[in-house]
Amino acid sequence: MDITTTMHGGATVLAVNGRVDTTTAGDLESAINSRIAEGNRRLLLDFGGVTYISSGGLRVLLATAKKLRNDGDRYALCRLSPEVHKVMKLAGFTSIFSIYASQDEALAAW
Amino acid sequence: MLPGNGGELLTPRTWQTVPGAADTRIFAEIRKADVISSNSYLIQTPDLLLLVDPGGLLSQAEILATAVTRCRDDTGLPLMVMLTHAHVDHFIGMQACPALFDPEHSILAVHDAGAMAIERRDPNLTQGEVLGREFAAMPVGVHLFGDSKCCDTIRTKEIRLPHKVTISCVRDRFSPEPGIYIDRECLLFSSGHRIELYHTPGHSPDSCCIRVGRTLFIGDLLFAANPGIAGLCGWDQDDLIRSLEGMLAMFKSGTIDIVCPGHGRIITVNHACTMLEGVLADARALTDIAELNRHRAEETARFAEDCMEEINELFTILAGRLYYVAHVMDELGETDMAVQAGTLMDGDVLDGLLESFREFAAAHHAQDHVSIHLALKAGQVIGKLERSFMKDKVARIIDVSLVTRAGRLLSSYSTMLRGFTPPREREACALCTVIESVIIGLSGPSCSDDDILASTDDEAAFSRLLLARIGTRPLLDGIRVSFARGTDDPCVLIDRDLFSDLLTYILEDLVGTGAEELALGVTTDQACATVTITGTGGKNGGGPASTVRGFFLRLCERAGGSLSGECTPGGHRYTIAVNRAA
Repeated sequence: MDITTTMHGGATVLAVNGRVDTTTAGDLESAINSRIAEGNRRLLLDFGGVTYISSGGLRVLLATAKKLRNDGDRYALCRLSPEVHKVMKLAGFTSIFSIYASQDEALAAW
Repeated sequence: MLPGNGGELLTPRTWQTVPGAADTRIFAEIRKADVISSNSYLIQTPDLLLLVDPGGLLSQAEILATAVTRCRDDTGLPLMVMLTHAHVDHFIGMQACPALFDPEHSILAVHDAGAMAIERRDPNLTQGEVLGREFAAMPVGVHLFGDSKCCDTIRTKEIRLPHKVTISCVRDRFSPEPGIYIDRECLLFSSGHRIELYHTPGHSPDSCCIRVGRTLFIGDLLFAANPGIAGLCGWDQDDLIRSLEGMLAMFKSGTIDIVCPGHGRIITVNHACTMLEGVLADARALTDIAELNRHRAEETARFAEDCMEEINELFTILAGRLYYVAHVMDELGETDMAVQAGTLMDGDVLDGLLESFREFAAAHHAQDHVSIHLALKAGQVIGKLERSFMKDKVARIIDVSLVTRAGRLLSSYSTMLRGFTPPREREACALCTVIESVIIGLSGPSCSDDDILASTDDEAAFSRLLLARIGTRPLLDGIRVSFARGTDDPCVLIDRDLFSDLLTYILEDLVGTGAEELALGVTTDQACATVTITGTGGKNGGGPASTVRGFFLRLCERAGGSLSGECTPGGHRYTIAVNRAA
């Protein structure tokens, strides 16, 4: 898994590629926590390159939601693959997170 | 099935005294249990070196050869290589190792049936076919139990070993308790020492247990009823039950202290008794299992990969749903309930198991290993999931449909690996009624608003219903569903449970990947009924893969139908064809 970070105005976009599994979920969590610790509280996860997410990866997404719930915070995901969308939908996560088809659509909504 | 690389009772790769035989030493090579190679035991008596099962790996044979050579240089004793049975994982390693296979210094001793299998290079009885390993024919110097199949009178013969050593061989029937008999052959040495062999067929026709002092080498008796082992060519249920009853009686007779299995760690006789009782119970239940040949191993491995793909997705969803419930309860300040939901499945253990299979499967395909390895690995992972899955507790919180299918998925694979055909109970069913029942089941909440309101005076009941209300997320909630059922309700021949599972999987696949509208329809002709399920709409998902998953195809076949899938403008369509009942 690799993560590319870009800034778009006041938003931080983490573009994730590869599998978010038992060995990489911790890396994703560290990357997210680092951005939040830097004061970036408008976070968009671009999962366009994620082919698989494990339960550990789902836990990281939930933990992030708990950290970003102050007024002014923003947290969303975009470009989910069908496989990842299915797992998140059936696990109930699509009712917690905002999910968008593209980065542009997500950032426009903020 | 997979004990650790233990050797608590005997230290591996160290010469030590054999319990109950003060002038006899043993050097044990203990491996973690697998189907590649067995344990090996090198025993030095005053009369000879006895190597029980040289194993299936050249590297292992070379370690043994070094020990044999040193020992022979010191003592001048001949070597007898003796097999508990002639499966390739117990002997093939010695073929490229001259120190173990040198007629001037060593002799091979195998039960007559196994000896003939080795001499004739039989790929079936030796499991060379299933395990994908070829071997050269080898001369077997001693055919144990070679005169006749059974022996009611004592017979004596002489065996000539290398180094001009001659031993007497006495054959009789041993009775550890009244009514139980085991064919026995005793090798008697001039020093007064003896090695006893007990014919214990079942795992294979040539299986033997070997006794030295108060130590017994039992080959694969402990694993003979295991999934993926039972049903191998030469396996026989009746023989196995008789052998297990015989050895159990012997274990209880107080004449054995230590039991050395062909795979895994060495155990005490008390531990072996407990294990053998379990094996006996399992063996008695294994009626009418299919033979585990190469074709079945390949079929089982394919089913394993299909199942594991679904298990991976379904269990990740289950774990995610429990996290979701815990998250919502936490938001509501219900910490206890959040903990209750969050600890029902250990996500780290789950992910670890799923990842271990994925890595194993990737290495398996990269190295083109034989199918049985993959099938057994899946069995190991699924067995652990089955043991840790608290199905009843999870079903109290999240959709019963998800939990039930997860349980059925695990048991289907275990059933197949054990050699049984997963059950299919095809019966005449009203097709539209079955479909409507699935749609209704996926549309409503687990409990109504009225139920929740009525429970507010009972804190425990309220908590339970609240958890279930949050944990159950009707799949079709918010989805536009239409069902064109036609004028009649065709009677079709299907397994209702499997068909309902299939339809649920398909609807989940369509909704999960973004469909916002589902259109179901049934059409009929004289012989068939055809069900179409079309998902359209949605902007976040790209729709399911264009090829239908192998798991869906197999499930449909087991349910009594055939399945196809196609992309449509803006969506995806599945078509199921089933036969009408006569």
